[in-house]
Amino acid sequence: MDMQRTEEQQLIIDTVRKFIREEIRPLEADLDPDAYELNPEDDERLRAMVKEMGMYQMGLPVEYGGPGVDIVTRTMLAEEMSQHRAGLYAPAYGAFGSSPPEHLYKGTDEQKEKYLYPVIRGEKHAFFGLSEPSGGSDPARSIRTRGVRDGDSWVINGGKLWNSGADTADFGIVYVRTDPTKGRQGITAFLVDTDTPGFRVQRLVQVLRSHYTTELSFTDMRIPHSQILGEEGGGFALANDTLAHNRIPYASACLGIAVYAQELAIEWAKQRVTFGEPLANRQAIQWMLVDNEIDMRTSRWIALDAAARAQRGESFRFESSMAKLLCTEAAGRVIDRCMQIHGGLGMAKDMPFERWYREVRIRRIGEGTSEIQRVVMARDLLNVRSGS
Amino acid sequence: MRIRKDWSSWDPGMSFKTLPGAMGIYEIADEQKNCIYISYAGGASPYGLRGELYAIFGMPAGADKWNWSHPHPESIPAEVKQRAKYYRYEVTHNYYSRWIEDLTRFSEDYETLPELNKLATAPRAPHLGRYHWKSEGI
Ligand SMILES: Cc1cc2nc3c(=O)[nH]c(=O)nc-3n(C[C@H](O)[C@H](O)[C@H](O)COP(=O)(O)OP(=O)(O)OC[C@H]3O[C@@H](n4cnc5c(N)ncnc54)[C@H](O)[C@@H]3O)c2cc1C
Repeated sequence: MDMQRTEEQQLIIDTVRKFIREEIRPLEADLDPDAYELNPEDDERLRAMVKEMGMYQMGLPVEYGGPGVDIVTRTMLAEEMSQHRAGLYAPAYGAFGSSPPEHLYKGTDEQKEKYLYPVIRGEKHAFFGLSEPSGGSDPARSIRTRGVRDGDSWVINGGKLWNSGADTADFGIVYVRTDPTKGRQGITAFLVDTDTPGFRVQRLVQVLRSHYTTELSFTDMRIPHSQILGEEGGGFALANDTLAHNRIPYASACLGIAVYAQELAIEWAKQRVTFGEPLANRQAIQWMLVDNEIDMRTSRWIALDAAARAQRGESFRFESSMAKLLCTEAAGRVIDRCMQIHGGLGMAKDMPFERWYREVRIRRIGEGTSEIQRVVMARDLLNVRSGS
Repeated sequence: MRIRKDWSSWDPGMSFKTLPGAMGIYEIADEQKNCIYISYAGGASPYGLRGELYAIFGMPAGADKWNWSHPHPESIPAEVKQRAKYYRYEVTHNYYSRWIEDLTRFSEDYETLPELNKLATAPRAPHLGRYHWKSEGI
């Protein structure tokens, strides 16, 4: 398998790398260590710069007016864009724009007008409503939010938990049990406007990272039948499909903070002197740095392999789960070792490690836990998948 | 969640050790106990909540002998210093997201930010969300 970057990929990567180092990192010196937004003037200026460079919304398909950068390149870019303090959850503070949730490409023309295009233009924001208090790992069984058909609409009751950004979103993709007799075929995805009567943000749920998630409640929320995304009963397949895709760049973003942490650790190890010698001369420290490199390179390889398979149109579910599992866990180990190398400074808010340490921990839970990735892979193995 | 504490009036005679040097969020009220300002002592705050509150209410007499005082008192709007009568705070590592939560609750209840958070000189509030309900003291 050839993992050599093409000339075009190298050019894009170099440009993004320069942007992160020269435009983003210096701004962080004046921001609170937990900030995840730039001030509006910088935000506007950087977005304009990126648009000028022709690199805005790189993942947007050509038919929707974007450059349609392929998934392998996007996987490489996710690693570049996260190489700064806020990079894991706010890569480049959004200066490169974000692509709409992939589910929306599967909407009707009317739904695209109402949701997809406004999201592309940055006028609307979406949240993802799958997990519930009854459990997120096994949504096919645990979704209790219930929809009952009433003429041309559905009456929805229940609630969701852990919905990132639901308090600021204009609408959400909400998974509802519409037929309790049909298991996973009884779940339907609805497009729900957040100003629908009966929709409530019950509370903001504080977590390890500097941004919270939300708990939602739905009381007699009436949603027109035309707001179903995809097929009635097809919600589970829709969720599974897009989650598998998202896992790959999600995984490789974790490598970005690991790369930056390693850079800082190498620099520190060379300059910090203890017992008359730089830390870099100590085998204990050298081994930590080498283990970091092994962790990063092996997981990068797996993430790119998953992306390459997805790009070739081959089955990639196993590989995307493996990438998600390996990258999130490897990045956690790398950050932890880099903190150790920095001693007390590694714990301080003066350095980005403590933020990364908190945020990367969440990555072993979000988008399917490490255990669930193993479940997915085990299912694949035991069904004796061909083509591996 | 609100800061679940009663308002405290500023006592210039108290020991500075009473106030935590930790990160956290705080609210400031005027004479009528109306909350007029919500802010935080973040990871870059030099003396934590203690430093922020002293910068607002002023250092007591004799404080020039202390080996600490807020190096950027101008980062707090002058109007806050003039009208501050009461304070309450919460020590939290999650100061940033709690700050946003507290501001969101306030703006949901009163359909506006606290008066002095609207000043151009106040720290800029990030994009706030909505609850679609009044928080009713929660
Ligand atoms: C910060 C944050 C943001 C999030 N954002 C969103 C969002 O925007 N939208 C959304 O829908 N969800 C979101 N989630 C929810 C997330 O996807 C779920 O938390 C996750 O899927 C796990 O579900 P759970 O918390 O209910 O744990 P559970 O499903 O109850 O699992 C508990 C533990 O048991 C393990 N486990 C479960 N089943 C098995 C098994 N068969 N074998 C072995 N171990 C098992 C799990 O791995 C986990 O360790 C977010 C979560 C967090 C923390």
